[in-house]
Amino acid sequence: MTRLGFLLDSDSCIGCHACTVACKSEHDVPLGVNRTWVKYIETGTFPDVARKFSVMRCNQCDDAPCMKICPTSALYRDPKGVVDFDDSNCIGCKSCMNACPYDALYINPETNTAHKCNMCNHRLEVGLEPSCQIVCPTQAITIGDLDDPTSKISRIVARDDVAVRAPEQNTKPKVFYRGADQASLDPTRTAIANDGLIWAETTPAHPTIPVALGTKPTDQPGVVGRTAYTTAHPMTWKSRVSGYLVTKAVAAGVMAVAALLVLLGHGDVQAAVGVVPPMVAGVFLAATGFLLITDLKQPTRFHYLLTRGNRTSWLVKGAYVLMAFSVVSAAWFLAGVLDAPDVLDWLAPLAALGAAGTAGYTAYLFAQCEGRDLWQTPLLLPVLLAQAVTAGGAVYAVLDLFMDVPAPTAVRWVLLGGVLATAALLAVELTSHGSRHVELAVHAMTRGAWAQQFWWGGVVLGLVVPAALTTLALGVDIDSPALVAVAGLAALGGMFAYEDAFVRAGQSVPLS
Amino acid sequence: MTDLHNYPPHERWHDWRELDAKAWPKREERRYTLVPTTCFNCEAGCGLVAYFDQETGEIRKIEGNPEHPGSRGRNCAKGPATLNQVYDPERILHPLKRAGERGEGRWERISWDQALEEIGGRIRQAIVEDRHNEIMYHVGRPGEDGYTDRVLKAWGVDGHNSHTNICSSNARIGYQSWMGHDRPSSDFANAEVIFLISAHLEAGHYFNPHAQRIMEAQAKGAKVIAVDPRLSNTGAKADYWLAPWPGTEPYLLLAIARLLVQDGTWNESFVRRWTNWETYLRRTRPDLPVEWSSVRTALLDEYAEYTPEAAEQKTAIDAGTIRELAELIGAHPTKLASHNWRAAGAGHLGGWQVARCLFFLNVLTGSVATKGGTAGNEMNKFKPAAPLGAPTIPRWNELEWPTEYPLSYHEMSILLPHFLNEGRGALEVYFSRVYNPVWTNPDGFTWLEALSDPEKVRCHVALTPTWSETAWFADYVLPMGVSVERHDVHSYETHAGRWIGFRQSAFRRFAEIRNGGELPPGTRSFEYNPGEVWEENEFWIDLSWRIDPDGSLGIRQWFESKARPGEPISVDEYYERMFADSVPDLAKAAAEAGQTPLEYMRDRGAYAVPTDPYEPYERPVDPADLEGCAKDDEGVYRKPGTPGTWSGDPDELDELKLAPLGDGSPAVDVDGEAKEGFPTPSKKLELFSTTLADWGWPEYATPKWIPSQVHWEDLDLAGTERILLPTFRIPTLIHTRSANSKWLNEISHRHPLWIHPEDAEELGIEEGGLVRVSTRIGHFVITAWRTEGIRPGVVAASHHMGRWRLDEEQGRSWGSGKAHLERDGSRWKLVREHGNQPWESSDPDTGRVWWNDTGVHQNATFCVQPDPISGMQCWHQKVDVTPAQPGDQYGDVVADTAKAREAYLDWLSLTRPATGDLRRPLWYARPLKPAAAAYRMPER
Repeated sequence: MTRLGFLLDSDSCIGCHACTVACKSEHDVPLGVNRTWVKYIETGTFPDVARKFSVMRCNQCDDAPCMKICPTSALYRDPKGVVDFDDSNCIGCKSCMNACPYDALYINPETNTAHKCNMCNHRLEVGLEPSCQIVCPTQAITIGDLDDPTSKISRIVARDDVAVRAPEQNTKPKVFYRGADQASLDPTRTAIANDGLIWAETTPAHPTIPVALGTKPTDQPGVVGRTAYTTAHPMTWKSRVSGYLVTKAVAAGVMAVAALLVLLGHGDVQAAVGVVPPMVAGVFLAATGFLLITDLKQPTRFHYLLTRGNRTSWLVKGAYVLMAFSVVSAAWFLAGVLDAPDVLDWLAPLAALGAAGTAGYTAYLFAQCEGRDLWQTPLLLPVLLAQAVTAGGAVYAVLDLFMDVPAPTAVRWVLLGGVLATAALLAVELTSHGSRHVELAVHAMTRGAWAQQFWWGGVVLGLVVPAALTTLALGVDIDSPALVAVAGLAALGGMFAYEDAFVRAGQSVPLS
Repeated sequence: MTDLHNYPPHERWHDWRELDAKAWPKREERRYTLVPTTCFNCEAGCGLVAYFDQETGEIRKIEGNPEHPGSRGRNCAKGPATLNQVYDPERILHPLKRAGERGEGRWERISWDQALEEIGGRIRQAIVEDRHNEIMYHVGRPGEDGYTDRVLKAWGVDGHNSHTNICSSNARIGYQSWMGHDRPSSDFANAEVIFLISAHLEAGHYFNPHAQRIMEAQAKGAKVIAVDPRLSNTGAKADYWLAPWPGTEPYLLLAIARLLVQDGTWNESFVRRWTNWETYLRRTRPDLPVEWSSVRTALLDEYAEYTPEAAEQKTAIDAGTIRELAELIGAHPTKLASHNWRAAGAGHLGGWQVARCLFFLNVLTGSVATKGGTAGNEMNKFKPAAPLGAPTIPRWNELEWPTEYPLSYHEMSILLPHFLNEGRGALEVYFSRVYNPVWTNPDGFTWLEALSDPEKVRCHVALTPTWSETAWFADYVLPMGVSVERHDVHSYETHAGRWIGFRQSAFRRFAEIRNGGELPPGTRSFEYNPGEVWEENEFWIDLSWRIDPDGSLGIRQWFESKARPGEPISVDEYYERMFADSVPDLAKAAAEAGQTPLEYMRDRGAYAVPTDPYEPYERPVDPADLEGCAKDDEGVYRKPGTPGTWSGDPDELDELKLAPLGDGSPAVDVDGEAKEGFPTPSKKLELFSTTLADWGWPEYATPKWIPSQVHWEDLDLAGTERILLPTFRIPTLIHTRSANSKWLNEISHRHPLWIHPEDAEELGIEEGGLVRVSTRIGHFVITAWRTEGIRPGVVAASHHMGRWRLDEEQGRSWGSGKAHLERDGSRWKLVREHGNQPWESSDPDTGRVWWNDTGVHQNATFCVQPDPISGMQCWHQKVDVTPAQPGDQYGDVVADTAKAREAYLDWLSLTRPATGDLRRPLWYARPLKPAAAAYRMPER
């Protein structure tokens, strides 16, 4: 077998950026994005100061998370071990950009598809070395077969001190660094100072650990130097993804509560159990689909999820879950319209299962995002389920204003239960210690850029207000549907605020 | 996968099939024709190969040329970025003539024919009226060897002006004082100690070829020492990064030299054989016997004060480190490769002593042109004789070579506008080429005033591929090609070896190959290049033809085809003859390949000239060459009819034949053998420079430290005075030529002022805050960048950025901001309106420009500071560094040309004008070296 990898020799690298430009030229890479670039860091104090160079690019992982998550196998491994891509399959979902722990992928603005280093596979095919390798003045870039023990790369990997980026992600990277400082390879050990990079502007898309105004990067805990040069890597999943988490929770939640009501023996309430819940679910499932599809860079290719689906991807599995859940909801609606409570009895467990799947599958999708440690928390699944419960309770609390909801107290308990469970899970999440990456993300969420949104939106609006109002309604036994409806709306609004903070904070930790 | 190659096999270059990168993984085959040429971005002349898509006729990409002995197929970022320059949407594609006032920005497109006719007519008129000195060709990066020199010689015009004294005058005179050669050629690849006072891993002379070999040596165990007050990338890679006080480098070097002598680790036999120590003793120590054993005493006495401790006090480099370096250097005799170019040399009054003191270490260790040592450039450079030849110029132009600077290396180019202001002359036709003095030179507003004045400069022709601040004020803007669009040859001393590179219009060559190897006779490259972009070679031929259409001025003959009498010579004929006749063994190599020498070069782009690079001075001289020579007291064989035997009678000058370098003496006696030696008056390495002593500077006849104009002990460091280093390159940019590359500018587009955090605190400068940097004649406003990578007391900003344009629509680039000029008497202000912005063009990338910063134009706030000996602009500035004042805006540039004139006069007063019968030493090198009679000092 052939298993190609790169040796990047930081001992020889002089930081000249020739590889960057040769790559731009070979692949006609537009401005603003890069397949490879040279990172500079600086450490020490005068006169004992160092500037260190390391070349950043795709790691051609043996266990490539981008391939696993890619819903259409646009990212694939070729027989030489190259992780390559096929434009014609890519739907532009950007999941690969979150799966990759190396900031290796970008959306090409010309094609609206994901691109990255493919080791110049089209050159390898005609027997030529990659363009970055041939241009390098100091021969600091070497491609070679890691399965051939006599290759230069194999011999160096065997004998010299080499390192890889983010080994803890277990992606089995095939890009080896010789002579690279650990701080060069670990993006959480340096930060861009407030006065910027050595010769390029800094934009909000430049990945860094925030440095408090008036302080040096090295004043931040765990930071040993400054990032003096790097390139931009914009956040890819934003409010559409946060929104989709909420719309999906609503659809799942309302059906779950409906199923609960059927199990409690209210299957015969045609409107509030049989008809309206699947209608609400349908609307919100449609909204979910709308958000997902419009977030694609190639929205007209959304059907590739099914026609070219990659079964290891939770985007694809999720699509199947959503479809199955839609079918169950449609059947429920039919049974409701036909006033067939017996069928609902039969459908209720399926609906509950579908709801759980719909609400929860994203935990598995996010877990495939190896670049976003915050999202990989084992608590995400229970949080999503608790949020669905909250959303179901919230929707019923609102429905209670307009129609006869059977067992309104149960609904209120559901809402309160969902909120309290979410609160408890969040408390565990915030107080448990994770990797440095998780801690930085949690810091960003709770004390950094998204703190206001998290605390005022996610916690106060989303948890404290609904808990207080629902408790008031339940405890004092005030029969005020309006009060609970407000609680429900607050819970949903807060849920979006929290999810948005969570989604964005998860992407805030620099990967390169 | 063991069979990967870096480049397609050479035999398939004419028709190479490769898969389309963008179509991949679909296998779409593209057919390319690969045409080699030479990079024109920096001075290294690395090989390039243009990939012509046979279907579209366009260049798809530009890679390195594996056939090139200097660059060996590898390039820096600027090589592949050439593609951007070719297809830049803002480049100038047609000849333009000014339609409004100078600088107004109104242009009309004209034909090449009209341009040639009008400009040729003016030149003809000037020549007919004996106003030869009103014709000037002012070149920045020449990028070629000898072609334009030949043109000027044919015209009889001493009109070559250069960029040398904003670049390398000091380094040149430092090296030349030792060995006659004015540039070093370091054999880094075989060195054991590498001593750099420059930044060769990111810039320097010659970045990519040198970086390859420096890193190769370091990997083999060589120690690299880099001296720079700021942490360059080179400093970052070095084993020793030393950041002395700027301008004290000679002190540091002399301290090391002293230790080598004191510790006995110097190479005594080499110094005895190859320095003019007898003269040194006679002239400096008449009290000592003229015998070898006196030299140690004399040296230790002369450099007694340069102890490590004294050096520590003066330079701020730890005495222990200085001892360590001396031990290191002393332990590796003959294996020290050193280099100074620009950097400290270009920064300081007396900066020429940096190169001189550095090379002193080579001399003391015997590392002169040894394997792993440092040679002179001419030893590793090959300049073929020009076909058709050229006459020697009988004139001397004082606008370039004023009597105040008899030793200048070379032309006093930065003083040109001051000379014009003083009425020392006027210019009928001023060609600027790859030269942007309004922006690049110090005192840019004085340039702007001069170039705007039609009395001083009657016609300014800008030969340029792209818009520049200077071209904006020209009368004609003529588009000349970038590296893939022009012909020339060149050779640089990149390593211990010799090569010749051939730059060619790759577009023309592609057309030729497509045509089956033939193009119509009389064809011109602008017919093939983008738009009507031309090249100087053909332009000069055709222009010369217009100057002298009937041959009556005696000019036309130098441009006439031998093959087609009565017709101008073609580039094909010119280079065919050069390669066939003037390059050793090239004809043989071509024959072996079954090609003509020209075809061979058109297909390879470069040729390794056979050579034996080491210790050429030790070569015995054939006794036949010494016939008629007389051996003088110093053992030098003097040849009649050369400056070496000139009696000193000015009337005899007419009879003298000048060598390009040296005084024409063929050999020197060393231990009883006639050896080739060095092209100095003594034919040896000159520990004592009789030239400096006899031309007014006896105190600097030996290596010395001269306190700089920014010496730290003379500054108010407790107050706001600091030393500004305004000239450092970064690896991706090249002066004002790279602004038309999107890829390069995306990587690098800002140049904040490096300042040590302690300085920032003391001066009250906020993190990233605006700073006003005030010079003698003005100020500029820039942002601060706090870094530990700079000596406290020193601030620095790279010189690449700060480009501006006066028009919103015309002359845009990826690196220029929109600005306007305000003038109040002699006070000028450049006001930045905005930086870079996205715009619509044929290239979608113009809409994706994501950066705004384009930097601040620093140089206009510097007065001229020419070193009184070398003429070098002493770039480093004594400045006041303060937080910006109310009303200051980022990018403000203010300068007063009246103050600039005062400064000019102050620096002029430091000179010691020539007082004898000569304008300049006859043995010194000089571009366009005229006839000896032209050296005669005129009657005043």
